[in-house]
Amino acid sequence: MALNPFFLQGSSSEQRLVQSLINEQLRMYGVEVTYIPRKLINVDNIFTEVESSKFDDNYSIEAYVNTYEGYAGGGDILTKFGMSLKDEVTLTISKERFEDFISPFLAAEPDSEVPLSTRPREGDLIYFPLGQRLFEVKFVEHEDPFYQLGKNYVYQLKCELFEYEDEVIDTSISDIDRQVEEEGYITTLRMIGVGVTAEASALINTGYIREIFLNNDGSGFTSPPLITFEDPLDNTGTTATAVGVLTTKGGITSLKEILITNAGAGYTTIPNILIQGGGGTGAAATCSINTAIVGLGSTGVTAITVDSGGAGYPLVPTVTIARPDPGATATATVGASGTITEFTITSGGQAYVAAPTVTISTPTRSGVLDSIRSVNAGSGYQVNETVRLVPNNVSMGGTEAIIRIDSVNGSGGVTGFTTVYGGYEFEVSSNPSNDFYEARGGSGSDNFRLMVDSVQTVTGTTATGTAVVSAGSTISSITITNPGSGYTKSPHADAPTVTISNENQFKNPGAVQATAVAIVNSSDQVSAIRITNPGSGYLSNPTVTISNPTTIVGIGTYQFNEVITGSDSGATARVKSWDDRSNVLKISYVSGTFREGENVVGSASSATYSVSSYSADDTYDKYTENDEIESEADDILDFTESNPFGVY
Amino acid sequence: MLGTYFYHEIVRKTVVSFGTLFNNIYVKHKDGNNADLSEIKVPLAYGPAQKFLARIEQQAELNKAVTMSLPRMSFEMNNISYDPSRKVSVTQTFKTTDDNNRIKKVFMPVPYNLGFELNIMTKLNDDALQIIEQILPYFQPAFNITIELIDSIGEKRDVPIVLDSISFQDDYEGDFSTRRALIYTLQFTAKTYLFGPIADSTDGIIRKVQVDYYTDTDTLRSKREVRYTATPTARKDYDAGDHALLAENVDLTETILTVNDTSSLSVNDRVVVNSEIMKITKKTSNTITVKRAYDSTIAGEHSVGTKVNLLNSADDALIVPGDSFGFDESTDFFESGADFSPTRKLDL
Repeated sequence: MALNPFFLQGSSSEQRLVQSLINEQLRMYGVEVTYIPRKLINVDNIFTEVESSKFDDNYSIEAYVNTYEGYAGGGDILTKFGMSLKDEVTLTISKERFEDFISPFLAAEPDSEVPLSTRPREGDLIYFPLGQRLFEVKFVEHEDPFYQLGKNYVYQLKCELFEYEDEVIDTSISDIDRQVEEEGYITTLRMIGVGVTAEASALINTGYIREIFLNNDGSGFTSPPLITFEDPLDNTGTTATAVGVLTTKGGITSLKEILITNAGAGYTTIPNILIQGGGGTGAAATCSINTAIVGLGSTGVTAITVDSGGAGYPLVPTVTIARPDPGATATATVGASGTITEFTITSGGQAYVAAPTVTISTPTRSGVLDSIRSVNAGSGYQVNETVRLVPNNVSMGGTEAIIRIDSVNGSGGVTGFTTVYGGYEFEVSSNPSNDFYEARGGSGSDNFRLMVDSVQTVTGTTATGTAVVSAGSTISSITITNPGSGYTKSPHADAPTVTISNENQFKNPGAVQATAVAIVNSSDQVSAIRITNPGSGYLSNPTVTISNPTTIVGIGTYQFNEVITGSDSGATARVKSWDDRSNVLKISYVSGTFREGENVVGSASSATYSVSSYSADDTYDKYTENDEIESEADDILDFTESNPFGVY
Repeated sequence: MLGTYFYHEIVRKTVVSFGTLFNNIYVKHKDGNNADLSEIKVPLAYGPAQKFLARIEQQAELNKAVTMSLPRMSFEMNNISYDPSRKVSVTQTFKTTDDNNRIKKVFMPVPYNLGFELNIMTKLNDDALQIIEQILPYFQPAFNITIELIDSIGEKRDVPIVLDSISFQDDYEGDFSTRRALIYTLQFTAKTYLFGPIADSTDGIIRKVQVDYYTDTDTLRSKREVRYTATPTARKDYDAGDHALLAENVDLTETILTVNDTSSLSVNDRVVVNSEIMKITKKTSNTITVKRAYDSTIAGEHSVGTKVNLLNSADDALIVPGDSFGFDESTDFFESGADFSPTRKLDL
């Protein structure tokens, strides 16, 4: 039986009126909440669950709190998984307002991230500002009240508190994003604020320990044994000292090497080495002492003192001790046509026994004159004389071009010319009236002017030379075998450099470069330097160079939620917080492993610091006890077969 | 009757050891291109807690924005029971030494099984499976861990952790008023041992044995004539005292050894090189002639620079219980007619 045709049962105008009234009521009695849609990153279609998602948009909407007496749900309870908050809330929002102001934006998002845009969705978040809580929509009720005047006007969102894992919440509203600043899995990067290069100095002496031979590495050590040397016989020298370094292979701990802390002085006979303590047995070592080297000093590096430990060394820096026999150095003179005309030895070096290789830098010049033409012939010039062109705005010398005059007219005006040397750093002239180059030098009175139509980059021919070793084992001269071409004159920065090889094959074998290794303490400072080879043939105290820390000065301030990237490891994470006093960076959402010593760069702030240490333990979550359990278990568990649960 | 105070914290140590098995488990999430997005070291804690402490620590801010963060694991001990299958006689004792090398007497431990429950709560089924797969392969069905149950006597025991059962709860059905909860529960049994009090033992190393022989069984009239004495001798250099250094490499059979200095060594002295004991039969200023592989030791090869340690009475006095040692015997003959007084330790 049909409905009574004399009643409307809800006309569209009535429905619009009701919707408007509801919208108005919500605006008067509601609370302004933030609707945060879930964007899907990765969905498992077998288990039907969203593995990764992000929340980076926000939409304000007014909502009425149905449960006005307080949150529904179970309240705060203690579970075996720690404190759990079971608060629930039911919010009513206007259907029309959602469809007009939120749906169109959701529809613009890619379907893979936001597959449904026409209605509020389960799984989306609502930020409830009164309680500063993030609620997750559990169920959307669209038929309560039930079809008043033939239509539904509101959605009821049944929500409960969000269960957080590692979702990115980056809505750009700080109040919301910071709600999860201390939630989830948070680990610690300790950064280096200021790095300072360490400094050390070396002492040389005679009659020192030249080399230690570990004849038997022993076994069963639990701590490094004490290494002692016999005193020098005449009791006037210095007793050598050394430390043992242990290594463990196949469950057996033995001596790996013996590093010298002081190579001693005044030894005339080979001292015995005692290896005592450390719980091990069987280790034995002998050593050699140096003998004087003909033509060279009879000293080696016997001790290295750390003058300044520096700062910011999470990794062991390299230590370089200068050679006992400095290499020769030389300079090259460039002639007018860009060829090498002469080599000058600035230092002859020492201990050369064979002619070392000589390497001259490759000539490369840009802005070399290519095509030029006369804009003013000038007067008073003579055939075959040369004039110079100097590039504009160039303060450095060695760049001028050289032009030879081939023919002149009756008044000495230039009618023909040739570029002898194309110079360097010229620019193309824009117009002949006020952008030209004026010739300098020569006998002309009214200046000859040229404009540059094009310039080129010229790679010349590399010069070669042969070093000559003198009777005193120094380099006395370098003979030019090929003068090369296209070189730039000094003092320009690109003037040729001459490198004379200083490698062992050309040197007296008695001159041996000392080597050493640095020891870094837990404060990231160089605490000591141990000598691995005292070298020989030194005449004076060599310089000791310690490589720079990765970061000399950390810069910037990491921003909350920005992505940081390790420059070396490529590991990424998001910033939870940054403390610039203690240089502690709390991070979450970690992918990969940060390495000590690498730089970590913030994507938004560009802040850059280098890593002192990384700890994968969450020491901030008050529920988590992993770290405490592990440190207590370390004392009582015998994990000689290593923790099998150690690797993912 | 009971009530001698002792507390070895064995149950606590078993709880900690059980927990540490699971404290390095990770969950990884990937993006749509199978590239790593994030990894989480799964938080682990002993479940039972003092309520007020849990509240003030975990909810210092009353307005907490989220319910909790997942995944999480908790474990708890839920059962203690006697294990008759591992019973040994309760009157048996064994002797051991403490940190100061004093001998201690310990009764055999009592076998107890501790029941444990490991709960894993995750937001995603995939997370739970990642965790479970990192645990289960190690239990067939037991996994042994070695725990130092009593540190004062260095008592280490292998404690098998047996995986008894696995169950899980996945409430995905029903209306939308309750959230899906994914909880895996693993039941374990740790077969540990409980020790009673550790008593001091009156035992120690016998430093000297002396036997006087009489010529007759009538000890009142007859006189003793022979005395046999045995004392322990050290087999290693305890005091790091006098020594020389080998000045050559020594093979397995060589008996004349060149050393740097023989002034501290005498004929008939025993020396130890690495673990081989030798007896000196002759010496010059820089060589010693030795009897190799003395005192049942095994001859070995020795490198130049190795220490030749003198074993003397100072080392003998430092022998500690538990070390192996040899014996020095002597026999004396008497004609004086004196008797030995055990209390005054003199011949009277």
